[in-house]
Amino acid sequence: MAGEKWGMVIDVDKCIGCQACVVACQAENNIPINTEDLYNQRRAVQWIRIERYWEGEFPDVKARFIPVLCQHCSDAPCEPVCPVFATYHNPEGLNVQVYNRCIGTRFCANNCPYHVRFFNFWEPSWPESLKNQLNPDVTVRSRGIMEKCTFCIQRIRRSTRDAKAEGRGVEDGARELNPACVNACPTDTLFFGDLNDPDSKVARMSAEETGEHGRGYHMLEELGTEPNVLYLKKVDKNAKEASHA
Amino acid sequence: MDLTRRKFLTLLGGSTAGAVLFQACGVPEAELLVEAPLEMPEDMVTGLDTWYATLCSECGNPEGIVVRVMEGRAKKVEGNVDYPINQGKHSARCEAALQGLYHPDRISAPLLRVGARGEGRWEEISWTDAIARMAHQLGQVQDKSSIVLATNPVGGHLGKVVERFASRMGIAHMPYETLDETNLRLSMERTYGLKAMPDFDIGGASYLLSFGADFLSTWGSPVRYARAYGQFRQGDRERGTHVHVEPRLSTTAANADEWVFVNPGWEGHVALAIANVIVERGLGDSSAAAALTGNGAVDLGRYAPERVADRSGVSAERIRRIADEFAGHPPALAIGGGSAGAHSNGLANLNAIYALNHLVGSAGKPGGVIPNPGPPFSDVPEAPARTSYADWRGLTGRMSRGEVSALLVRGANPVYGMPKVTGFEDALLGGRFNVPLIVSFASFMDDTTALADLVLPENHGLEDWGSDVPDPGPGYQAVGIRQPVVRPFFEGRGVHLGARSFADALMGIAQTMEVDLGLEGESFEDVLQAGARELFETGRGSVRANDFRAFWNGALQRGGWWDTTAAYSGPSLSPRQIASAPGEPSLGSGAFALVPYPSIGITDGRGAHLPWLQATQDPITTASWQTWVEINAKRAEEMDVREGDVIRLTASNGRSIEALAYPHPGISPDVVAVPMGQGHTGGGQYDKDRGANVMSLLDSLEDSETGALAWAATRVNIAKTGGWMRVPRFENTAPDLATDEDQHIIKLTAEDS
Ligand code: SF4
Ligand code: SF4
Repeated sequence: MAGEKWGMVIDVDKCIGCQACVVACQAENNIPINTEDLYNQRRAVQWIRIERYWEGEFPDVKARFIPVLCQHCSDAPCEPVCPVFATYHNPEGLNVQVYNRCIGTRFCANNCPYHVRFFNFWEPSWPESLKNQLNPDVTVRSRGIMEKCTFCIQRIRRSTRDAKAEGRGVEDGARELNPACVNACPTDTLFFGDLNDPDSKVARMSAEETGEHGRGYHMLEELGTEPNVLYLKKVDKNAKEASHA
Repeated sequence: MDLTRRKFLTLLGGSTAGAVLFQACGVPEAELLVEAPLEMPEDMVTGLDTWYATLCSECGNPEGIVVRVMEGRAKKVEGNVDYPINQGKHSARCEAALQGLYHPDRISAPLLRVGARGEGRWEEISWTDAIARMAHQLGQVQDKSSIVLATNPVGGHLGKVVERFASRMGIAHMPYETLDETNLRLSMERTYGLKAMPDFDIGGASYLLSFGADFLSTWGSPVRYARAYGQFRQGDRERGTHVHVEPRLSTTAANADEWVFVNPGWEGHVALAIANVIVERGLGDSSAAAALTGNGAVDLGRYAPERVADRSGVSAERIRRIADEFAGHPPALAIGGGSAGAHSNGLANLNAIYALNHLVGSAGKPGGVIPNPGPPFSDVPEAPARTSYADWRGLTGRMSRGEVSALLVRGANPVYGMPKVTGFEDALLGGRFNVPLIVSFASFMDDTTALADLVLPENHGLEDWGSDVPDPGPGYQAVGIRQPVVRPFFEGRGVHLGARSFADALMGIAQTMEVDLGLEGESFEDVLQAGARELFETGRGSVRANDFRAFWNGALQRGGWWDTTAAYSGPSLSPRQIASAPGEPSLGSGAFALVPYPSIGITDGRGAHLPWLQATQDPITTASWQTWVEINAKRAEEMDVREGDVIRLTASNGRSIEALAYPHPGISPDVVAVPMGQGHTGGGQYDKDRGANVMSLLDSLEDSETGALAWAATRVNIAKTGGWMRVPRFENTAPDLATDEDQHIIKLTAEDS
């Protein structure tokens, strides 16, 4: 059994809302083109998305950004409601969606407090020539299937296999291991790694930032989902309140 | 409910009751094996992949990228970790290069117009035929200087080929940019004596004061700046403070610690008011102060905060505080551009802003403005040639007088970018005369290409050779090399059809016309290799080898060549007298100031054909795929305007566009902001006839000194048309996250850890 527990640290103080992570995810994970119609139906699929929150009014106004993706909860509310075990927790701490088990009840999406699960209401389609770009490591999900962030499990698998073949381990923070969003993010807002490895960047950051003077927090902490994504608070010297939604 | 499935299963495992229960339900025990003994389907890994280094081709300032190729197809773009500009990072635009490569609307053979101009009826012809026709027509032109080659600003070795083509053929080369950088470039020259853009050391600054430039989104070298911004925020040093001055709450403004609203066109006044405070209080470098004012020749007293406050909309008190902070937190860096330079006084605005760096001693220092050395080549220009809007207005005049015999375009879309009142399109197509020959080198239909007589399809950047001398560079000599990472997608169409490299096409035309370009070799690849040989012979830098072959391979593998020790060695950036103090901006008339802005995905329209970029949501509005009008929420309510109402914006020149209202709380009640990039009259399935082109309604206003387009100076009146359309936005796609009083999605802290 693998000893890893994959996790992420997101420093909200660095996120500039540039969308590089969002498009990187779409390219890596064969996410169908979010057409104008899909936006209008409110059915656009973004495994990682940037939420923008307003605070105040002109001229005293702030727009703040936060990336939201599957929190890979240790106590995931999406899991127990699946009648066919299509969503389960794997030994590496990942909340995994098994597409060929999914029967599309959408119970999981309903039960996920973070709204990061997306249902394929339509058969995904691409113009023929654009299919050349699709990533062969990732299944294209058909109509009626639920999907969501996998922490780019295909990259974890490929990098582990390559490392094994070369008789080495996968280094913490290695580009081939990182999810696509982490590599893309120009500001280094996102960090990915093994929380079980005390020397990994994410483990060290978690330890430092969850202390008394740390900026760490879990999203919707009181729900007790025990996310494996740790957020670091945004710094605002003039913060009127300690926080906002 | 705290009974999760796993706890439930644990309970079951430990009790006989569980077994009984399951037997009763008839569920075989094997079903409880949630972890399959075999690998799950998502655990499979198939095939081998290779990552090739090359340059991105989607923006003006290419990032170094690596492209994942499997079985001859490009699959994924990521940043090249080695490349000095972006160091492994990239933008949404780089990713979308793949969609350009495999785009369903890509032109796969030379096209000859068969219907009327702009009718869209074409016939495929062979390259030989196309080049012969073109050579014949160009050959018949007596006065070759009446032939105009319009390109995007091209640097590196392509720039060299284009310059050589133009000069040896005796034709005019006119680089075109929708948002011309004339003012910014000239300001670097006037303020620091620099021809090439310097690097801004954002990561090393403690205090950052920016004006207009949306550098975290589209301005300058955004990936490089964003990377540095991450350092500026949470790096090894104390968290930096960022103040951004702009009439619109842009992405950059949203990220700043403080956004300062300024009335459009008054940015330079605010900058000089800050200078005034610094000089008056003796906070800055006194010799710099003396030099900047020419020992009092420039009267900074005219820009005292009280005198500037009313018209700029920034209070005197706030100006004083910012001046104090700026001077008190070295190293401090001032950056200006974008809308701040897009006024009738744009150059003067930028000069004033950049002069601030002299006052606080940041010119040429870490955490400030770092000059770039020239390129390591003997015959590649330091910075690509550029033209201003006034030059294009002049060209329009020449065209309408019948003085232009042929227009060859590549990477430029003036029919889209020129304000309609200039009459460019009319001059091109009709009136008393027209331009007898229009040729477009293009991979896709766009507004200008749709009007062409002949279309010569270009290789996609991922199929092409090339080089780039980054401008702005990283502060030392660097060269990016572009190599084909896949075989040409249209290879299957044979040698007579398909796409070609633009440089090779130019070389072919010259050869047919028997004009010697004096270039090294027969193909663009040869020219590039000859350039690389120059690098090899320097014997320094990131790639070293005993022979040229090995050097060339090494450079291709790393994505280029750079020498971190080859920094700028020109004259020091000593302060010089502020060339021209900003006067009042001349603005159009109308109830609202119009702030057009480049979209984060499709930018000034060049990315509009790429569905990923169309779908990339705007950071502030979360909208996509359309053209919207940002309008103050309260003002909208007063005017009974709701989200999705179709609004007509009319400029005083009589031109108008229609776009969807998007009221929000973050914009001034006196300003409306409209994204650029949509409203193409020529294009394909993703961009044609979608949204509106905000550039089309602009007034023909230009910088009084340089002739640069004053694209932020138009004012508009707005009216409801009675129509309504849903704004395609991501906001509220997911219902609000479940929160109670104490549960906040974004948590803030006043203390840095
Ligand atoms: S964030 Fe939602 S989808 Fe992801 S593990 Fe938690 S409950 Fe499940
Ligand atoms: S790429 Fe990074 S900075 Fe940009 S939106 Fe995503 S998390 Fe934020």
